[in-house]
Formats: sequence, structure tokens, C-alpha cells
Amino acid sequence: MFKRNVIGKNSIKIKRSNLSISKIFIYLFLSFWAITTIYPFVWVILNSFRYKGEIRSDSFSIPMGDSFTLDNYITAFERVNIFGAYKNSLIISITVTIVVLLLGGFAAYALARYQFRLRTIVHSLIIASMMFPVFSTIIPVFRMQFSWGIVNTSNLTLSQLSVILPQIAGNLSFAIIVLMGYIQSLPIDMEEAAYLEGYNQLQIYFRIVVPIIKPSFATVAIFTFLWSYNDLFTQMFFLRYRDTYTVTRLLNEIVSIAGINYGLMAAAVVLVVVPVLIVYIFLQKNIIKGMTAGAIKG
Amino acid sequence: MKKTIALLLCAVLCLSVFTACQSTTPSNQGESKSPASPVEITVVTSYGGDDGNRANYEEAFKAYEAATGNIVKDGSGTSNEEWKAKIMADFETGAEPDVLFFFAGVDANKLIENNKVVSIETIRSVYPDYASNMKEDILPISPADGKKYTVPVNGYWEGLYVNKKVLADCGVEVPGAGYTWDQFMADCETIKSKGYTPVAASLQEVPHYWFEFTVLNHGTVETHNNLPGSSSDETGKAWAAGLNDIKTMYEKGYFPVNTLTATDAEIFQMMADDKAAFAIDGSWKIGWFQENAKNIDDFTVTYVPGKNDRKATDVIGGLSMGYYITKKAWDDPVKQKAAVDFVTAMTKDDVVSKFGATAVTALKKGAVPPSNADSLMIAAIEMTKGSTGIAPATQDNLNQTARASLFANVKNIVTGSITAEAAIDEALAITE
Amino acid sequence: MKSVMYKKKAPLILFLTPALLFLCIYLYYPFVMNIINSFSSITGLGTSSKGFNNPWYSNYLKLFTDPIMRTALKNTLLMTVFTIVFQVGMALFLALLIDNISKGVQFFRTVYFFPIVISATALGLLFNLIFLYDGGMLNQLLMKFGVEEFIDWKDQNHYLFTMSFPVMWQYVGFYFVIILTGLNNISPEIYESSEIDGANMFQRIRYISLPLLHNVLGTCLILSITGALKIFDLPWVMMGAGMPMDKSWLLGTYMYNQTFTMGDVDYGSTISIIIVVLGVVISKTANKLYKEKDY
Repeated sequence: MFKRNVIGKNSIKIKRSNLSISKIFIYLFLSFWAITTIYPFVWVILNSFRYKGEIRSDSFSIPMGDSFTLDNYITAFERVNIFGAYKNSLIISITVTIVVLLLGGFAAYALARYQFRLRTIVHSLIIASMMFPVFSTIIPVFRMQFSWGIVNTSNLTLSQLSVILPQIAGNLSFAIIVLMGYIQSLPIDMEEAAYLEGYNQLQIYFRIVVPIIKPSFATVAIFTFLWSYNDLFTQMFFLRYRDTYTVTRLLNEIVSIAGINYGLMAAAVVLVVVPVLIVYIFLQKNIIKGMTAGAIKG
Repeated sequence: MKKTIALLLCAVLCLSVFTACQSTTPSNQGESKSPASPVEITVVTSYGGDDGNRANYEEAFKAYEAATGNIVKDGSGTSNEEWKAKIMADFETGAEPDVLFFFAGVDANKLIENNKVVSIETIRSVYPDYASNMKEDILPISPADGKKYTVPVNGYWEGLYVNKKVLADCGVEVPGAGYTWDQFMADCETIKSKGYTPVAASLQEVPHYWFEFTVLNHGTVETHNNLPGSSSDETGKAWAAGLNDIKTMYEKGYFPVNTLTATDAEIFQMMADDKAAFAIDGSWKIGWFQENAKNIDDFTVTYVPGKNDRKATDVIGGLSMGYYITKKAWDDPVKQKAAVDFVTAMTKDDVVSKFGATAVTALKKGAVPPSNADSLMIAAIEMTKGSTGIAPATQDNLNQTARASLFANVKNIVTGSITAEAAIDEALAITE
Repeated sequence: MKSVMYKKKAPLILFLTPALLFLCIYLYYPFVMNIINSFSSITGLGTSSKGFNNPWYSNYLKLFTDPIMRTALKNTLLMTVFTIVFQVGMALFLALLIDNISKGVQFFRTVYFFPIVISATALGLLFNLIFLYDGGMLNQLLMKFGVEEFIDWKDQNHYLFTMSFPVMWQYVGFYFVIILTGLNNISPEIYESSEIDGANMFQRIRYISLPLLHNVLGTCLILSITGALKIFDLPWVMMGAGMPMDKSWLLGTYMYNQTFTMGDVDYGSTISIIIVVLGVVISKTANKLYKEKDY
């Protein structure tokens, strides 16, 4: 599959000093990019401690002394029940992530490994569905869910379900396309070996395929969680009453007015972002090289 | 590293929780069990989010709950196009609320045409005192069938915000009631020559305030709400003349250099930064000045200069939103009275006064200004008191698509790529 | 390459049906409604149709005569190219660099993810302040370097850069994570053996990493094409309605504008069909070309 033999014997003697200079350049470049990605985050955090009027006029300095304030956080917590909203967010996004991984993984495996007549068509349909703008599908979905009685009810669980279901569908195509790409790059030998040992397809999937591409599942999980958590539009449409609000929905509600209060907006962004970053950092350990090797052996 | 970041994030979260614990006040426990079995009504308003009146709204409906024992299920949001779409979808599918606070103009036409809301007349046939504290002739009339449906709370006005500091620096006097368009144009020239921007407006995003007044300058309060049949009839000519006035201002360089490439928020900042002298905006903008002005006394609000038959004291304003009772609630014997009581409670004299201190009101007795009003609010109250005529914004007579098309064309009109007449006809072609 | 074990089709049904069921109910059915809507007259989202257009295909005729549609199409195709070249290119570059270092890997992985997490509203505000005409970060810097005239970053000469740079920058992290995952699916033993063979960094990338990333890069290609066609939020926050002078429209922002601001839902539906059709055609073609060119 890879052309190891092509690597010539003539390249055996590589000067070590050469390597370290190139390493320095690598680090310089990586750090440069890191600065561009860290800076906005720091900027948001700094401005969340700044008085609301000052962000437009003076947003690039560090808020200290007179311009430092906790007001934005105080306002955010005073006006709303943020912990209830965190709970709602987690329930919705975790459920969506689990279901998407489960169903998306199945479908990706099937599309990657089976040859069947409708395969090309199904593949095209899935790609197409990644582009359906949510703005044009929301009304039919709303009507459908209303007729099932899960929209506009006082029941918390049903309200959550009315967001979970469309979000699962919305993230499935992405999960299928990405997981399919990863599964296709796996050598098929191991699955065949397991098949000869008498495993059935379900066992092969769970015992061979899933452990090997665990990092890929972690990656898909991160993005699914992120998109479900940040998907304001669907949440706006289906979560009607305050007790059902998610963090994103709730904080949008506080900061929505004419975008005047930028300090509060920055605080809201920090409050929304923190859980996602925690999830990312914890899931990240599953994308670390080495785990895979162990999984294959085991 | 990973752990450090995770810890850092946790620390941020903890810090914010800590500040919260310090500040959280115990929530109001408005527990009062009423002997009658409580009715639950669903209410949707635009007093969601961080609306300036959110607190007043909550206080008012909590008072209603306490007085009647009914329960208000509040599904309020923030007014924007998505909010409107959601409400329309609700009515389409039968998921509408019992009481709705919504626009009085063409936006509500579909609700009225489809018989989804109940007219004040019908309500009064059962509850004769409904909305009796309001002036009959100011209650908004639906453009759909000429009947009255909605009970308004706080209205709006549009006026000329002035940066007095800039004017003083240019030696220009603060305009007043007798201010004419010619004086205004001359002052703009002076201001421009001093290196300031005379008028803060983003023509690419929010040209409609200037449109309203320049059109009013070629008509009267009475004719302002006529819709032209084409660009060549009388109203059409007034519209074209108004748009061409804006074009003249643009050509003379009275708008900011980036008026066609900047957002309204960006441009409006020039007022607070003492870089621009004038801006037309609505009553809701007072809050912006209170938040952003270094010194609120540097600013005032006054009449927009007049031209032709229009006196400067003729203003644009009115009552653009109000409470509707839906047919669904009206036909429900359990909810009917609860809904009527709710609207009555929300439109009582003292509640209305609280909601809109400086705004236009339909109250027979008028609104009571707050005691702690700042100089800008006082100027606003004086302006509304001294007005000689009031006309609702004519843009509300156009449907959404036509309105958006006309205003999107303003940038093309001022740059000359389309004539005012052609843009008007294009918009009117969309209005069915 | 396909094995005998995947000849039996029975498990296929089990694997594929649940996901397809979801897609049918929540995406394909609503999209069929959307197709019907594109032939109808609807004057506000959430309101019912007033019947069919006359002629029923009039929205499709309008596509060809609408000058803004042409602008939107041109910009969107341009964004697609940018996305493939800059987002995927930069992400691949960064991922390969990271793959060659041992210290600080976790740090870089974490911070490269930051931009995707921050909402478009906040990023839009940040970039608006950076590109602000009067007192923005860039113009202040230029002043320090002695430039006298401010640059209007949103005028006709600069809008393309102002609009596309933030979008490109924001989503590098997304492809970065996906490519990095692909690299980590590669067994370290392969690398070890290559090191024994004495391969240098470039040889390792050329002969090991890239061939093994073949499928993952194919996925990135599809994701970047479909992603570019629906770019919406940052441009919407920064450039609003086609600023300047209707020059910066994208299919995504134009579709949203027609549906919500203009209330022309049927025309909005038509545009969304164009987005989907273009997306399928382009990504299928690109995929075919890409798959043919093997290492």
C-alpha cells in the first residue's frame, strides 16, 4: 500500500544539525499560527471584563484599574438561570453526539465496505444533504413535529426531543462522509482474518473497526457536539420557554438587543465556549497517536 | 499543557460562578393561590432578551398573575425577521399563543386576512370597557381591512439627534422648531468645511429614516401614508423628490465617506466619538446614547428640518406594535376572560407610562415622565409635546419584499446607477 | 480489493437503514417541499403558498436575469477555490509539521481549535474592529507606518480580502483536526520502520504520510466544496447585505436575505436548490478527478 522500498539507501546519512534548523522553522511557523488563533480568544476574554461602552472605542488594550469590571458576568448570572441551561445543553448535545456516532458509524461502514447497486446514488444523496440550508427545511420540520405534538408543549423532555431529532439528522451526513473516509483507508486484511475466525459483521464492526478508528470517532464526536451545542437557529425555533433554553439560546437572548452591549456579549461567548473547550480537551486524548497501535494489538 | 488549559478554563468558570453567587438575588416568589381554578395563557411578545422593557414587562405580568391567580406562559423573543417567521409558522400550524404582542402594520395582514385575531370591536361587544383608556382616533388601524385589532403600549418617534459639541466647534447653532432645509444644508456645508462629517448615516444599511423625512418634506402629514400607484403620480413624485434630496446630500459629501461600505453600528459610533453632527433615528436610540455617550449633555434630539409645506414640528411617529388576542383564545370559554384581563392589565395607564416615558402614547391622560430623566430624555419629551402633527412611517405600508427592494436601491440611486423613479416603480411592482 | 465477506448483503440493511430513515424524514422530505416551494408564490417564511407561480418555472428564469445571482455565484465559486487551496492546504501543512515534532503537540492542537469554537457573532465583531475604517486595528497600524489615508477595507478594492480572510482563517482548524486524525490512524510502526530505513522528513511525508492520507484528503475535498457553498455566518455579520454595492453576495447570504429580509421565500428556495445541485456536481467531479490521480 505504501512504497517503503522506494526510500533510497542513499539517504541514510542525514546530518542531524540540518534537522534541528528545520525544527526551529517548524516551531516558528506553528507558533505564528498559534498566535493568530489564541489572540481572538484572549481578546474575547479580556473584553468580557471591560465596560460595555469601551469595547468599540478601545478594545485592544488590557482592561485594568478603572476599566476592569465583573459587571458583565454579574449581569449574565443575575438575569438567567445559567446552570439549568447548561444542563439542557448537555442533555441535548450529548444525546445528539451519541446517536450520530452510532448511526453514522454504521452507515459509514456499510458505504465503505459494501458494493451495491444504489451505492453511488446514496453517496450523492448524502453529499447533497450536507448542503440543505436549515433555513429552507425548518418550516416543514416544524409542521411535522407539531403534528406529532412534540413542539410547543410544556413538557421539557419533548421539547428537548424536538431539537435533538433534527440535529441528529443534520449532523449525520457529515459523520458518514468523514467516517467513511477513515474506514476506507484501513487495510481490509484484519476484517477478513476476523471473518475467517467466525466473527459476524456486527462483531467485526464493534471489535475490529471501531477500536482502530477510535480517533476518528473522537473527531466526529467533537464536531457533532460543537455544532449541536452552537446551533442557535434550530434551538431558537423549537425551544419556546425559558425552562427549556440551552446556554447558547439563553445567552443569545440576553445579548440580542441591537448588539449594543458588547461586554455582555463577550462574557456570554466565554460562558458558551468554556464547556466546549473542556469537552475538546478531554476527547482529544483519544486522538493521540499510540492508542491506535495498542488497540490493533489487543 | 492540556491540563493547564483545562484548569484555566475551570478557573474561569468558577470565577464567574463566584461572582454570580455574590450577586444573585432571591427570585421573586409571587406565590398567591387564588380560589378560582387558575387559567394558563400563553403569551408571545417582543419583550424578550435584553429589551429595555423586559424588566417592566416581567413586573407587569407577575402583577397580573398575583392579582388573578392565572399563569402566564411567556414565550417572548426578540423582534427580528426570524422571530416574525416563527410567529407566522405558529399561526399556520395552529400553534399560536393566546395573546400576541406584534406589529400593527402590514406585517399583521396575514393574521387578519386569515381571521386569526379578534378585532377590538368584537371584544367590546362582550367587554365594553376594553381599551377604554386609549384615545380612539390614535388606536392603530389595520391596513388589511381598516378595523382596529391591537391595543398599543409604547409608541415611537423619529427625530434628529444632534452632537452639540461638534456644532459648537463649528459655530453652528443647535436647530429648533423653525429650522428649514436650506439652513440645514448651509450648516452641513459649514460643518463639512471644519472637517467633521455632517450626517452620520449608513445609506447602504439604514437609509429609511432619511427617506421618511425627505418624503414628508415633499408632502404633508395627511398625505404621508398614501402609497404611490407609480413614480409619476403625486405621491410617487414626492417619493422621487425625497430620494433625490438624499442623492444631493450624498453628492455634496454630507454623509460619511464610507456610508456605502459600513454598517449602521459602525457609522453611528461617529456620534459618540464627536466626529459627526447629525443623525436621524428613533426613540429607541436614546438608550444607545445613554450607554455610549461620554457626556449625555453633549447630545440633544430635535425636529428634522422642514421643507415646502411641512413644518419642522411635523414628526414621524406612531404606535407600531400592540397586543392582539387570538381567535383561538377568544373561542375558548376558559381562556377568553383571562386573555382580556391580561391585555387590560398590560395596558393600564401606569404600566404604559413605565414602558414608554418619552414615546408617543395613545393614553387619554398621557404618559407620566419619570422623575430621573436626563437632558436627552427631557429634550425628547419636549419634542413630542411641541409637535404639530404626527404621521406613521410610510415604509410600513409597503410589504416586506417591496420595502427591502426600495431601500436596497438607495445606494444605487445616490451613485446614479438607477434613477429614483425606476427604483420606486421596481418596488411598487412587487407590492400586489 | 473488496472481500468476499462483504458479498452478503443482509447486514447492509441493518447498517444503512436507521441513518437513511433519519435523513429521509428530516432532510429529504423537507427538501422535496422546498423544491415544490420554488415553483410556488410565498411571501413570508412560515406563511402558506398562494398557489403556483405563473409560469411555474418563473423563479428559474429569474436566476438567469438576476445580476446579483451572477455575483453570488462568482463569489461562491471563488470561495470554493480559496477554501480548497488555503483552508485544506494550510491545514495539511500544519498537520504535517505537527507530525514532525514531539514537544508541544498538545498545545498546538488545542489552540488551533479555538477559532471554530467562538461564535460567528463574536468573531465578526472582532474582525469588524480589526478592519474598522476609523480607528480599526489595521488602519492604526498603517498610520504608525506613516500611511496618511485610511484604507476602507470594505470598499470595492478590498472587500474580497476582508470577506474571505476571516472565513479561511477560521476553518483551518477544522481540516487540521480531520487531517491530524488521519495521520494518527497511521500505525507508528510504519514510521519507525521508515526511520530505520533512514528516510528524511520530506521523504517520509511524500512516501508515507500523503499516500496514507489519500482517502482523508478526499473527504476534505468533499467537505470543503460543500462547506464553501454554504458559507454564511461570518460574511453575513461582516458584510451584511452584499456590501459594498452588492459586490460581496454569496449564495448562502443571498439565499438567507431573500428568505428572511425580502420575504421572497420561493426565490430563496430556488437558490438553495442551486446550492445543492452545484455542490453535488462539483464535489462528484472533483472526487472523480482526485481518485483517478493516484500516488
